[in-house]
Amino acid sequence: MNWIIAFPELVLTLCGLVILTVGVVQKKSTNPFAACSMLTIAAFAITGFLVTVSPDGSGYEHVFVNDGFARFMKVLSLIGGALATIMTLSYRGTSGGGRFELPVLILFSTIGTMLMASSDNMMTLFVGLELSSLAIYILCAFDRDSVVSSESGLKYFILGSLASGLLLYGISLTYGYGGTMEYGAIRTVLIQSGGASLGLMLGIVFLIAGLAFKLSAVPFHMWTPDVYQGAPTPVTAYLAGAPKIATFALILRIMAGPFGALAPQWQLLIEMISVLSMVFGSLAAIPQTNIKRLMAYSSIGHMGYALMGLAAATPGGIRGTLVYLTTYLFMNVGVFAGIAAMRRKGHETTDIADLSGLGRTSPGLALMMAIFMFSMLGMPPTAGFFGKLMVFSAAYGAGLYGLLAIGAITSAIGAYYYLRIVKVMYFDASAPAFDTRSPSLAFLSVSMGIVTALFVLVLGPVTSAAQAAASALIG
Amino acid sequence: MHDVIASYFPVLVFGVIAVGIAGAMLGGSLLAGHQKPYAEKTSAYECGFEAFDDARRRFDVRFYLVAILFIIFDLEVAFLFPWAVSLSHVGLFGFLSMLGFLGMLTVGFIYEWCKGALDWD
Repeated sequence: MNWIIAFPELVLTLCGLVILTVGVVQKKSTNPFAACSMLTIAAFAITGFLVTVSPDGSGYEHVFVNDGFARFMKVLSLIGGALATIMTLSYRGTSGGGRFELPVLILFSTIGTMLMASSDNMMTLFVGLELSSLAIYILCAFDRDSVVSSESGLKYFILGSLASGLLLYGISLTYGYGGTMEYGAIRTVLIQSGGASLGLMLGIVFLIAGLAFKLSAVPFHMWTPDVYQGAPTPVTAYLAGAPKIATFALILRIMAGPFGALAPQWQLLIEMISVLSMVFGSLAAIPQTNIKRLMAYSSIGHMGYALMGLAAATPGGIRGTLVYLTTYLFMNVGVFAGIAAMRRKGHETTDIADLSGLGRTSPGLALMMAIFMFSMLGMPPTAGFFGKLMVFSAAYGAGLYGLLAIGAITSAIGAYYYLRIVKVMYFDASAPAFDTRSPSLAFLSVSMGIVTALFVLVLGPVTSAAQAAASALIG
Repeated sequence: MHDVIASYFPVLVFGVIAVGIAGAMLGGSLLAGHQKPYAEKTSAYECGFEAFDDARRRFDVRFYLVAILFIIFDLEVAFLFPWAVSLSHVGLFGFLSMLGFLGMLTVGFIYEWCKGALDWD
């Protein structure tokens, strides 16, 4: 039994259980929130190290695989979890005072995302997805005294369950018509039979629908704005990072692996989802007045761009998607660190108008936000540019000129609403200043700002790591 | 097809015997027992609710918590039975996996205990 390949997950699970126990046995007078958050960040760091040194291999009766691709995605997930946990350090709910379950739930959700990255069987796919989602349902409703937070949790739970149902239906169809749930065996069956039956195609469509829901790709995006707006800001930052990356890990792995032989069939489907997401994300964001809602539509659009790399169905395309996700993770956390800092007299404000004149009242934060906005719209030399460049060039290489043209047009439309925020910050009359930023948020926005602005310095290593991950996926 | 149906014959026998015994018990007590009902005797006891009432009535949310906690340990037993039966196949690894699962549930138990979910007041 080659159990050592899941060692990082086991360690992280053990850490989670220990932190939960440590938190709950504390006396009522001491709030273990800060201590538990610190322990969680340490657990993420340790697990991150263990992931980088973990050996390749497949085990647990062919349900779990560890390869370069899994390691890349796991490290990204862990970074996303750790950054979100740092952001929670300054989080105070409506009732005041943090509760230590918040970092623990982020930790458990991250274990789910790691399992998703390592799935080698439809069973692991589903268990990992549910482990990650169930924790997020609770996280969304974490501020239980706030109506919008409860609403966001409930909405995400109901729609998420529906999507899980679709996904399970897809898995059962795949199993029924393919005869197995192992990725490798499905691949063999498809190559031997020289094509998929109608039932299997239907199964793939349902699988894509279920995963596209978690990605918030159009037409399965309806939950995104409400959930993003209602959930506590650190949770929204987490939600837009690690789980999406892990869902991408799943969709890339099953499309390139078991269904790789059917690329001509599913390519059109992914292309359509990609186009719809880009168009809808950029158009629907224009009239938004709430910055969290705006970021929700922006994330829908970004998922469209990232799917472009998969639509190309080449190693270069997958590399592009991976680099895109890496850049998106950092700039996204940066933006949400900025949004979390939008507090007046202890109350969160999330209207875009509240940012008025930020360039004068808080030049540091405004500069960081401007960097993130430029990166989101893909302005060189920020991080977002390189991600876009890679997926666009992959689409060009695969001859998807229509997709490329639509991507370019929607980027131009997107520039309008990103630049509008920059304009509000620098050219509008000053609104009252925000409260002083807590050290954790200042650290996050500055460090993410540096990463985003100077991404060109780490572009080489990130690209070669993504290249190695992509070639682990498509041999 | 006929063989498949025939193989279910013991189930039919079991069903008939079960219905027969249950019917004999209920019918016997109905015929032979003394029936002296009064309000206190026929009212619902122990479960605390009227047996026939509006299903949408409000009830204490703590019942929900107890039900959820029950499900966790109910499922634990549901997993333990197949594990116990197949212990010779799953070996030491399977044995330790289940111990890990039980340990995880124990952490959950400690959590709910410390959080006061087991106190009714």
